[in-house]
Parts: sequence; C-alpha cells; structure tokens
Amino acid sequence: MRCGTLLAQGVRLGPDGALVFSVTGLVLAVPAALLPFVSAGKLGAERISLLFTGVTSLWETGMRALAVLVFLGGWLLPVLLLAALALLHASTRLGWRQFDFRTVRRAVRVLEHWAIPEVQVLAVLVALMKLGSVVVVTVGSGFWFYCAMVLSLLIAQRSFEFESADRSLSTGGSDAGFPP
Amino acid sequence: MNLRSARARFKSTSASAALALAAAVMLVPANLLPVLSTASSGRNRSDTIFSGAVELWQQGLWVLAIIVFTASILIPFLKLLGLAWLLFSIRRGVAGNARRLTRVYAALDFIGRWSMLDVFLVAFLTGLVRFGELSTVTPRGGIVAFAAAVVLTVLATRAFDPRALWPAAPLSPA
Repeated sequence: MRCGTLLAQGVRLGPDGALVFSVTGLVLAVPAALLPFVSAGKLGAERISLLFTGVTSLWETGMRALAVLVFLGGWLLPVLLLAALALLHASTRLGWRQFDFRTVRRAVRVLEHWAIPEVQVLAVLVALMKLGSVVVVTVGSGFWFYCAMVLSLLIAQRSFEFESADRSLSTGGSDAGFPP
Repeated sequence: MNLRSARARFKSTSASAALALAAAVMLVPANLLPVLSTASSGRNRSDTIFSGAVELWQQGLWVLAIIVFTASILIPFLKLLGLAWLLFSIRRGVAGNARRLTRVYAALDFIGRWSMLDVFLVAFLTGLVRFGELSTVTPRGGIVAFAAAVVLTVLATRAFDPRALWPAAPLSPA
C-alpha cells in the first residue's frame, strides 16, 4: 500500500522460492521444446507436432518474420526472462552486492512485455477444441512440460514484481521509474 | 513544468500517437484479408479473423468464439481507442483524472498481449494440420498484417509514458 493505493498483491515467496521456480522453469523449457507437443490423426494418417513445428512451417511457407515473432514470444524470450529472474533471485539469495544488476532489471521489464507463453497455451487449447471435431488429437508430454514452465514463470515473475515494489518504496520510487 | 520535461512529454506522446496510427492502418488489411485457408477433402475455405470467430460460434463452440472475438477483434480496437483517449486527455489537460487515466493505461498495457492469440493459433494449426490431400492449413497474408498491428499497439503503449498524465511529475527525456 502507498498513499492509500495497493501497489502489488500476490504470493510472496522470498528469494529461495522465487529462485526455485525460476530454475525449475528453465529446466522444464528443455523437455517442452524436445518432446511431442500434440499429435493429430486423420483416416489412419498421424502427425506429431513439436513446440517448434508451427515455427518451422511458417518459415517454410515464407512467413519468416511471423515465425521469428512466434519463436521469440513463445519460447526464447520466456527462457531469457526465466534466466534473468534466476540471476536476480540468486544475487539476492547469495548476497552478490559487488555486481550492479540494474541492466538485468531493465531487461526483465522489457522481456515481461514480449514473453507471452501463456497466450500460446491459450491458443493451443483453442486449437485443440476447434480440431476436436475434425481430427483425433492427443496432447503430448511436451505440452504439459510447457504448461508447467509457464506456471513457474508466472510465479517467479510475480515474486519479482513484489520485490521490485518493495525496493521502489525503500529507494523512494526511483527503481520503478516513477518520481518519489 | 520545465522545458526538458515538456519536450520529453511531447516526444513520448507523439511517438505513441504515430505508432497507434500505424497500428490502426494495419488493422484494416488484418481484418479484411484472410488469415488462413483450409483445404480438406478437395474443399477449400479461407477465413478472416471475423469469419473464423463466426465459424466457431456456428459449430456451437460459443466460449471459444467469444475468446477469439475478444482477443483478436475487441482488444486491438479497445486498445487503440484507449490510447486515443489518453493522448487527447493529455492534449486537453488531465485536470483531476490522472489516477483514473493511469488505471486505464495499466489495463491497456495488460490486455495487449492477449491479441497475439490468433497469431499463435495460426502458427500451431499450420504446423499440426498437414495431411496432404486429406487436410492442410495454410497461413495467409492477413495474419502478417494482424501480427504487425498487434506489435505496433504494444510498441505504442510502451512509448507512452504514464507520467505524462501527472502534470506535476518531472519527466526526464529518454
């Protein structure tokens, strides 16, 4: 609360919990990218899709900018965000006061706007329901790893927002970008 | 308000206005051109964003139709209207509405990302539904225009500095 206004609300994990979720998310990103995401079958023909199958298909059809956008927003930037959050939480936990992490903090603020894996999860769910009447679809383990990665990211991110709000109050608002 | 602060405000609002205008232009082909085409058992069908939502509704998938309509049609337009409102408010003078307008900005900033739903949907369907003669989904030009419009609206929101809504707040140039 500040000036009668709620600045942040959520689960306060502390640096240990936040670090655990950041690292967990990073680990989960690997099987999410490598294991079968969804398989679809129609009249005996079966097709197994990985996380990046859509990206490669877009690339092959000549929509390269779109392929890059989907790859960045759906996987690479979330992974970079998790890595940045892990670094920040580790620095808090291990007391690395000799390093200046302002650049990493700024990077997190930028990445938060472009890392949108939760939108990809919703898109896949919409597609699965849409395709359900046309082809036989089976969700693979890669999709569940991806969902777990997204959940880990959201929790780690939420904790970072908390710490940022706390820091903002203690430093007179300069960290949040607003004047005190 | 000092000169530096006034310049920074002008730079923030004019960049945001330019990006929002570009997004509005891109939304025209995004909504008129087909975003994907489906070839299934010899039948070809092309869908725009709107006809895709209508098809879901006709299939009885009302919740999905509402989700797609909200994310792909309603949110981009609401975002542009909201940004226009903020920019005009600054031009006319915020006069006591700063707190409410800041909440509007926070809401616009949050909802923008969900417009990417259709882009991910088309990417996923393009990768999965490739059964040759039986059934194939192909992306079409409309989705590129739509993705450009969404990216531009996000950039427009990012370019807008909410401190411009608070006349007493000092604003350092970027």
